[in-house]
Amino acid sequence: MAVIVKKAELSWLDRIYVLSVAKGMGITFAHFLKQLATPTRKRFTIQYPDMKKPMPKGYRGLHELKRFEDGAIKCVACFMCQEACPARCISIEAEEFSELNFTQGFEEKRPAVFKIDMLRCIYCGMCEEACPKDAIWLRDTYEVAAYDRLSMNFGKWDLINTYADKDGKAKLTPETESPATPRRSVAL
Amino acid sequence: MDTLARLLHLSPATLWIAVKVLLAFGIPMGLGPVLTWAERRGSAMIQDRIGPNRVALFGKIRIMGLVQPLADGLKFFFKEDLRPTGANKVLFWLAPALAFVPAMLGLAVIPMGRSFELGGAEYHFSLLDPGNGMGMLLPMAVGAMAVYGVMIAAWSSNNKWSILGGMRASAQMVSYEVGLSLAVIALFMKVGGYDPHQIVAAQSGAFFHGVIPAWFIFRQPVGFLVFFVCMFAEANRLPFDFAEGESEIVSGFHTEYGSMKFGMMGLTEYVHIIGASALIVTLYLGGWQLPYMADQSHLPVLLTFAVFLAKLVLTSLVFIWVRWTLPRFRYDQLMDLGWKKLLPLSMANLLVIAYWMRG
Repeated sequence: MAVIVKKAELSWLDRIYVLSVAKGMGITFAHFLKQLATPTRKRFTIQYPDMKKPMPKGYRGLHELKRFEDGAIKCVACFMCQEACPARCISIEAEEFSELNFTQGFEEKRPAVFKIDMLRCIYCGMCEEACPKDAIWLRDTYEVAAYDRLSMNFGKWDLINTYADKDGKAKLTPETESPATPRRSVAL
Repeated sequence: MDTLARLLHLSPATLWIAVKVLLAFGIPMGLGPVLTWAERRGSAMIQDRIGPNRVALFGKIRIMGLVQPLADGLKFFFKEDLRPTGANKVLFWLAPALAFVPAMLGLAVIPMGRSFELGGAEYHFSLLDPGNGMGMLLPMAVGAMAVYGVMIAAWSSNNKWSILGGMRASAQMVSYEVGLSLAVIALFMKVGGYDPHQIVAAQSGAFFHGVIPAWFIFRQPVGFLVFFVCMFAEANRLPFDFAEGESEIVSGFHTEYGSMKFGMMGLTEYVHIIGASALIVTLYLGGWQLPYMADQSHLPVLLTFAVFLAKLVLTSLVFIWVRWTLPRFRYDQLMDLGWKKLLPLSMANLLVIAYWMRG
């Protein structure tokens, strides 16, 4: 099947070519000036390690285990997230404790171990949806990388502290304070 | 200058020659890397990108990525120097030099500033003094030699892409030589000589009631157009970069080149731009002269040098600007433009100017 290619009929001015070239050079020069006058933060290019794009609301990034205002961990070790996880990256070990807690009332369970294998996690957000206490959130950090497999295995303290600095709160370590025990104990 | 010469145990003439050699060598060698940077940053700006801006001196001083050419050069030096098995060893090594030297030689006759008198002796700002009998014929002749660099690089690589690029580039350069020469002859006729000093002197003052500077770009616009277009072809720049043609034939004549040999090929391109710009400035943009002024013999010498450099850099930037505006021609369109458009145009230009100048 023969295809008849239609040739575009150029006008006299276009065939001379000089004016078209001048027009094109005007366009490129306008772009040059525009880009030169645009401050760096308004340019299309986001220079990644220095500049970061704000993540949209509802972005599912690195997890955080939430705490109450008094520092107690919200998680009650109900295993719902572990069950919901399609990648099976969450492993929880529960422990019993019976301390009087101002915000929570009496809680009897807390996670002794709460591990997420970040190499397995697919950031689907099922754990967040399954959690009855809103204790696990997926937030906006996406830079999860490490030099070895072991450090991609996030424990309870890692998960509590993932966003600690950004929130302006001090980092918690097991030696300094336990988030499962409240800072104030109120005698009833 | 006399005291400096005495301190160095040289005669002032010898010192001046040394200074001129340094200038003629240093300007393209210094400006070439800067042009590579300007090309990359400029193209980035034209395409709404950012371009290389992260290379920093000692990891700290970024100065808009101006150190990038240095990093590129270092990288080239540390690359492995490969030679393809079927390549002709001698010619493969010779080709970058053969491409580089003609590109540099063209600057030898260009006056870069006002001639001046000092201590009874006259000093000229061009490497070859006026009245050497070669004048503008030298850059023309040497510029034509650039074909050999491309051709030998292509031939010795023993590579099909290279030979394709080399063949069509040499055909292109030879074709555009004709139109170029005719355009320049019209200018030589008007000046009455082909010495660059004479040509620059002929462009002082203004015409048309002093509105337009008497540069040849305004007096012979058609000749300028032909010359300008041919210079792109001679320098193998983008609307006519058939030697390289990276989207068609990998990288054309330097497909097989690596390490510093490739670096030299790349630098040659920019030295060509500087050489072509120097020719355009001298022939059509009034050389080292300021526009409008009739008598320029009292200007400070360094000012004239600065004016020449400014014109040189601006013209070089136009080369870069055009590259990022126009796409490559098709080969038949290139030949069509060269032989059927530019050559008749420059012939007609020559005839019309000759008719005007009669009796």
